[in-house]
Amino acid sequence: MKYRTAGTSTSIRAGGRLAGYYWQRTRRNKLAIAGLAFIIFLIFLALFGPFFTMDPTEVNFDEKNLPPIGFSIEKSIYDINTDEFTTTIIRGTWKHPLGTDNKGRDLLAMIVSGARISLLVGLIATGMAIILGTIIGVLSAYSGGWVDNALMRFTDIMMTFPFFLLLVLIVFIFGHSLIFIVLAIGLTGWTGTARLIRSESLSLRTREFVTAARAIGASDRRVIFRHLIPNVMSLIIVITTLSIPGVIMAEAALSFIGLGDPTWTSWGIILSAGQHTLDTAWWIAVGPGIMLFLTVLAFNFLGDGLRDAFDPKSKI
Amino acid sequence: MKSTANHKLLQVIDLKKYYPVTVGLLSRQVGEVRAVDGVSFLMAEGEILGLVGESGCGKSTLGRTILRLEEPSSGKILYKGSDITTLDKERLRALRKEIQIVLQDPDASLDSRMTAGDSIAEPLVVHGVGGDVERNERVAELMKQVGLDPRQANHYPHEFSGGQKQRIGIARALAINPKLIIADEPVSALDVSVQAQILNLMMDIQEEFGLAYLFIAHDLAVIRHMAHRVAIMYLGKIVELADKAEIFAKPMHPYTQALLAAVPSFKTKAKKEVLLSGDVPSPLNPPTGCHFHPRCRKAFKPCSQDEPKLVELSKSHFVSCHLYT
Amino acid sequence: MNDTILRTKNLKTYFYTTRGVVKAVNGVNFNLSRGECLCLVGESGCGKSVTALSLLRLLDSPPARIVDGQVSFGDIDLVKCSTRQLRQIRGKDIAMVFQEAQSALNPVLSIGNQIIEQVELHERISQREARARALALLEEMGIPSAERVIDTYPHLLSGGMKQRAMIAMSLSCNPQILIADEPTTAVDVTIQAQILEIFRNLRARKQMSFIFITHDLAIVNEIGDRAVVMYGGRDVETAPVSRIIKNPRHPYTRGLIACLPNMSRSEKRLESIPGNTPNPIELPPGCPFHPRCPKAMDICRRKVPSPTIVAEGHAVSCHLYAS
Repeated sequence: MKYRTAGTSTSIRAGGRLAGYYWQRTRRNKLAIAGLAFIIFLIFLALFGPFFTMDPTEVNFDEKNLPPIGFSIEKSIYDINTDEFTTTIIRGTWKHPLGTDNKGRDLLAMIVSGARISLLVGLIATGMAIILGTIIGVLSAYSGGWVDNALMRFTDIMMTFPFFLLLVLIVFIFGHSLIFIVLAIGLTGWTGTARLIRSESLSLRTREFVTAARAIGASDRRVIFRHLIPNVMSLIIVITTLSIPGVIMAEAALSFIGLGDPTWTSWGIILSAGQHTLDTAWWIAVGPGIMLFLTVLAFNFLGDGLRDAFDPKSKI
Repeated sequence: MKSTANHKLLQVIDLKKYYPVTVGLLSRQVGEVRAVDGVSFLMAEGEILGLVGESGCGKSTLGRTILRLEEPSSGKILYKGSDITTLDKERLRALRKEIQIVLQDPDASLDSRMTAGDSIAEPLVVHGVGGDVERNERVAELMKQVGLDPRQANHYPHEFSGGQKQRIGIARALAINPKLIIADEPVSALDVSVQAQILNLMMDIQEEFGLAYLFIAHDLAVIRHMAHRVAIMYLGKIVELADKAEIFAKPMHPYTQALLAAVPSFKTKAKKEVLLSGDVPSPLNPPTGCHFHPRCRKAFKPCSQDEPKLVELSKSHFVSCHLYT
Repeated sequence: MNDTILRTKNLKTYFYTTRGVVKAVNGVNFNLSRGECLCLVGESGCGKSVTALSLLRLLDSPPARIVDGQVSFGDIDLVKCSTRQLRQIRGKDIAMVFQEAQSALNPVLSIGNQIIEQVELHERISQREARARALALLEEMGIPSAERVIDTYPHLLSGGMKQRAMIAMSLSCNPQILIADEPTTAVDVTIQAQILEIFRNLRARKQMSFIFITHDLAIVNEIGDRAVVMYGGRDVETAPVSRIIKNPRHPYTRGLIACLPNMSRSEKRLESIPGNTPNPIELPPGCPFHPRCPKAMDICRRKVPSPTIVAEGHAVSCHLYAS
C-alpha cells in the first residue's frame, strides 16, 4: 500500500483541511457570516460599483439638495418681486436614488466611490501597522534581554504619540494628501499589535510542543518559522480583522475635521459636508454614516467569529 | 523486563539547577529556587529508572536538565562515558538523536498546526535523514508500531483522542532510534483504561528496541509496574534509590515510607496511620540540613544541621538519611 | 444506616450546543443513605461531575438542561423545586466541595470572610459567633495557626491548606450531605492521604453522608461504603465497595479493575480496554459500552439494559445478567 502521508509535500493539501476546519467553526457563528457577507458586498461595491453609477464629481447645481427616493421635502423660495413665499414639494427620483448634495453631486456615486477609499485606506494602513507590529513583537520576544526592553519602551513612547498632531503638522507643511493619512495611521498604529504578538510569542515559547521541538534538535530558526509563526498567524488574522474598522473610522474622522484629501470623496468628507445641513438635507450625512456603521459592525462581527474559531478552548 | 547491557549509558554527578529570583527593574537577584540540588545516579542501557516525587521535588526539571533543555548550574552529565554538560550546539544536536523526550500533556505536546505525519517526521527532517519517500515510509512504519492507522498521517491533532495523541508523541520520539527516552509523566493526563494501553505500548517498545527510560511520574502504582529501579526525590534531592522490589518491600527513608503508606491501596482496606503532616515546603527556602527533617517523625539532632549524603547501604540500595550513617 | 436521604431516579442532563446535543447524563439512578459514603466512579466523560452539579442545579441553564428525572431530598424534588427552596438547601443541608480549591475560592476575600458569608446566609447569628465558628472549623481541619489563616487570602496558602479551607467552608452549616467532586485529584499523594483522613473522621464523628466523585478506584476502596460505576452517562453497576472490588460483574467494571497497575504486586502486562471512552454527542445506541465490550451480544447494540439485582445491594445494568 502506497501511503501519501507525511513530509512537506502533502502539507499544503493537508493545510486545506486545517483551513476547512477553522472555516467550519466560523460558519457556525451567524453574526460572523453576516459580517463576512457585508464585507464581500462592500468589496464588490468598491470594485464594480463605479461602473454602474454616475460620476461622483459631476456637479449640477440645478439638481442640488435632492432627497433620496421615496422621500420628499418642502422647499420655500422667496420671490423678491412678489414678496411671497412659494412652497414646492420636491421628491426624490431614481436618477439620484440616494439624493444629491449641495453641489448636485449624486450621493450614491459618492458613497460607492467612498467605499473604495475606505477599503483601500483600511487595508493598506492596517497592513503597514500589522507588519510593523509583528516584526517588532516577534523580534522583541525572541531576543529578550535589553533588546526586548528597548523595543518595548519604544513601543510605549509611540503609543502615546499624538498622531493627530503629527498629521496636522504634515498637512500644514505639505498640504492635504491621502497618502499622508495612510502613512500617519500606518506608522503609528502598530503598537497594540506589537504588544499582543510579543505576549503571544512569549507564551508560545513555553508550550510543550516547543519544548518537544527543541528536544528533537530543531534550531532556533526552525522553531520560529515552523512552529511559532504559524501559531501566531491566527492571532494576526484576528488582529487585522479587528483593526480595519478602527483605521476606517480614523480616516473618516480625520476627513471629517478637514484634514482629509478633498480630491477624493471619502465617507468622512461627505459627512463633513453634510453636518451643517442635517436639518434640511439630512441624507447627505446619514448615507455615509450608515455605511460606516455597518462596515465597522461587519468587521467586528467577523473578527469576533474568527477569534472564537481559532481559539482551541472555545467550544464551537 | 530485564536490563540488558551493563555499561553506563547515563551518569549524572552532583547535578544542580538553580533558578535565580530577581526583583526590580534591574533584575537584582534576591534568592534562588533550588529545583535540582545535587543529584547523582547511573543508568544502564535498556534499563527503566523510575523517578518519583511530589510536586516541587524537581523531577521534571531534572529530566529537562539532562536533555540540556535547561542549562545545568553545576555538576556533570556523562552520556556513554563522554561529558555532555557543556557540549556545543552542533554536537548537542547530534546527541539529540540518542536521547529523546515524551511529554505529559498530549494536547500541548503536539503543534496543533502540523499534521500527525509532519510531527512524527520532524526529527527526520531536522537531522536530514532520508528523502521524502523514505520519510513517508518511516512515518507509516512508526505509526503502525505505536498502534495508529498510517492513513491518518495527514490528520491534525484535534482529530485524535488523548491516547492517540500520546502515541503520536511516542512515535515522534522513536523516529531516529534513540537509546534513551526521558518520559515526563507520559500517562498522567490519560484515563485509566487508555493509560494501560500506553503503558503496555511503552513496555513493548522498550523490549523490542532495548531502550532505556527515565520514567518520571508521581503515581507509585504506575512506577511499580514499569520500572526496574526507583529513585525517590524530595525537594531537589534523591533520598532513596534501589531496585523496585527492594524499595517497595523494604523502604528505608522515612519519606519513602510515608509516601508508600499514603498511596490509597486497591486491594487492602487497612486503616493506615497518616505518617506525614504539613505541606511540601517550597524549593525557594528549603529547610536547613536534611530537607525533610521538619516533617520527619524520626528526626533527631543532626538532621537540622547536616545534609545527609546518598550512601549505598546494601547491594545497590542507596539512602540519604542520618538514621543509617 | 438504613434510611435513604437522597434518591436520584433516571436523571438526565443534556447540553444543547451548536454542535449537537451532549447527553452528559443519560439516566442515572442511585440512593444515598444516612451516614453512608457513596462513590461515583468513572473515567472522564462518564458524566459523574455533571451528575453532582445537577443535584444542586448548579449548571448554567442554557446550555445545560435537566431534561428528565427526579432528585428527592426528603419530600422535595430538587429538580423541580423553586429557586428559593433550592438556595435554602444549598450550603445548609447539602454542601459541595470542588476539585480545584484555587478556582473555587474567591481570591479577593479572606478565608474567614468566605466562611462567614456562608454562615450568615443561612443562620441568624452575630458576626462574632460566626467568626468563632469559622475559627473552630479551621482548627478542626487541622490547619495550623488558624487565627492567622482566617484572615489570609487564598493565594497565600498552599494547595493542601486551600483544600482544607474549602472543606471547612462546606461544613460551616453542618450539612447532612457533602458532595465532593474529585477533591484530591489536584493535590499530591501525601496531602491526599491527609484529606482522605479528614473525610474519614467526619464520617465517624458527624454521621454525615457523602457523595464522593472520583476516577480512582483505590480511593473508592479506602473511603467508600458503596460505589456507583458510571459509563457513557449511565450507572452500570452499583454495589457495596468490597463487592465491586472482589466480585465485579459488569464487563466495564471488570475491565477497569483489571487494567489498574497494582501496588501489591507487579504484573508482566496490564490488561486494557481497547478503544476510547464514548463521545457524549454521538453515543452508540443500546448499551453505551457495547463497542468496547468483549462480551457484547446482538441485543446490546439495540436495547439499553435496565438494572438487575444480582445480589443484595448489588445491581448491574447488563444484558448478560438480565432475566
